[in-house]
Amino acid sequence: MKKFLAESELARDERFVRTKIEDRVFDPRGVKIAQRNTGPAKMAIDRPAAAERSRSLMHGIFVGEIQALEGAGRTCYDFDVDEAPFALKLDMARQCWDESRHCEISIKLGDHMGTEIGEYTESTFLFAAACNPDPVLRLCGVNRALEGLAIDVFSSMKEFGDESGDPVLEFCEDWMLADEVTHVKMGSDWLRRLTDKDPERRERALEFQRTVDAIFNLGGFRGDEEENVIQLARRFRELAGFTEEENDSLSALARESTEQAREMAEMATAALNAQSS
Amino acid sequence: MSDHTKARAPFAPWDRRGLPGLFSVEETARRGGNYKWAEMRLFEVLGGWVATVPELDVKLVLGRHAWFHAEHAKRWDERLPELREMNRERLNVPPNPEFEAFMDSVREPEGAELTIEKLVGVYRVLIPRFIGVYTYHLNGTSRITDAPTIRSLTFILQDEYETWRDGEMLLQSLIDSPAKAERAARRYETLETLYVASGGIAGPGSLGEQSAEVPVG
Repeated sequence: MKKFLAESELARDERFVRTKIEDRVFDPRGVKIAQRNTGPAKMAIDRPAAAERSRSLMHGIFVGEIQALEGAGRTCYDFDVDEAPFALKLDMARQCWDESRHCEISIKLGDHMGTEIGEYTESTFLFAAACNPDPVLRLCGVNRALEGLAIDVFSSMKEFGDESGDPVLEFCEDWMLADEVTHVKMGSDWLRRLTDKDPERRERALEFQRTVDAIFNLGGFRGDEEENVIQLARRFRELAGFTEEENDSLSALARESTEQAREMAEMATAALNAQSS
Repeated sequence: MSDHTKARAPFAPWDRRGLPGLFSVEETARRGGNYKWAEMRLFEVLGGWVATVPELDVKLVLGRHAWFHAEHAKRWDERLPELREMNRERLNVPPNPEFEAFMDSVREPEGAELTIEKLVGVYRVLIPRFIGVYTYHLNGTSRITDAPTIRSLTFILQDEYETWRDGEMLLQSLIDSPAKAERAARRYETLETLYVASGGIAGPGSLGEQSAEVPVG
């Protein structure tokens, strides 16, 4: 089997429908939805269509877990021990088991919440972060950026489970959150160990992480404000090894991303209005 | 005389552990290095295959088993310095080029349509051989001098039985036509031939030397 698998080659059964992230971001229907101005976007039980949105998010978590599993698995395989030490491969194999359990949990939770596999689309940009040919950059993209996002998502979903009186959801999200903190910590530890004598490589890795983080902010999806769907889970991020400075910087990046999304929506609305007048 | 000072045998009557065992320290280290090499090649490819199999149940089982076999490799890696092998990489090798060729062949299938070929190599050829070589080692080594190896072997063997059963059941559910049965059989034959040529996971003598034919009567 060859080393390095492109995201287009990920194997799926017939239920899965793949979309490109740009199709979702530039979906013209998004402008009309934004115009509705239905209040803060934060996951909350008093939000319109809260149940529908939580089901959609759960499906997103499920496909994200599959890709995280696949990414960790490829890191076991793609590198020789001189590029990725034996202990790093062991960590990635452990992560495979954890992500495999997360897939199982997400499938069961999807059933519990009333959705089914393939009901929503899958975009594979998460796996794309796991295709980097440098293991340090790959770990920064996956274990620090992607798994960091998972901390934020699980923390928000756990809170949503608590508020909506769903102990099953809260229980499961709390367990997955514990694993994600471990995975982020793995990424932080390996970044430190592998770039100990190579500050330039460390900076490249952190830059790659910032790029991936910016993508994961998804035009205001994640941030510190009420208008963000997913809240930055600062306390759990600190447990995972992120400094306060890193969290502040991510928050600033998220605000920037939210602002950009708002500007784009305004421009699109203006264009739409001009077209119809 | 007080009863609590009464002499007792150092070994209870039911404790039948004995000396010596079949393997020297050096031979145990050599085998441990071969085991680590094979377990490592196995967990790497299980991880790599996850992205290449479309069947969701298979994907999740491979993810779980990747860690189980990584944990076995870790146990052998940790045992080596306890056997006076301070350079852990020196013995992290296949027993011979033939076994390396066998493992390369096990790891070869890539396409999404080749799940049966992937699983046959691991669950019908390789893992049953792990069960054989580990059982031989467990039964042959000294239960006193080599107790740490026995502890690892007992833990690992339990995993091997369970992973073999999981994989075999997946195969039984996937092989649902004569054409697929034929594919599985062809794959088994190819790999079995390569395996036999190598002599086994620890090379010739993996399961001990066969005694010469004994005349009957």
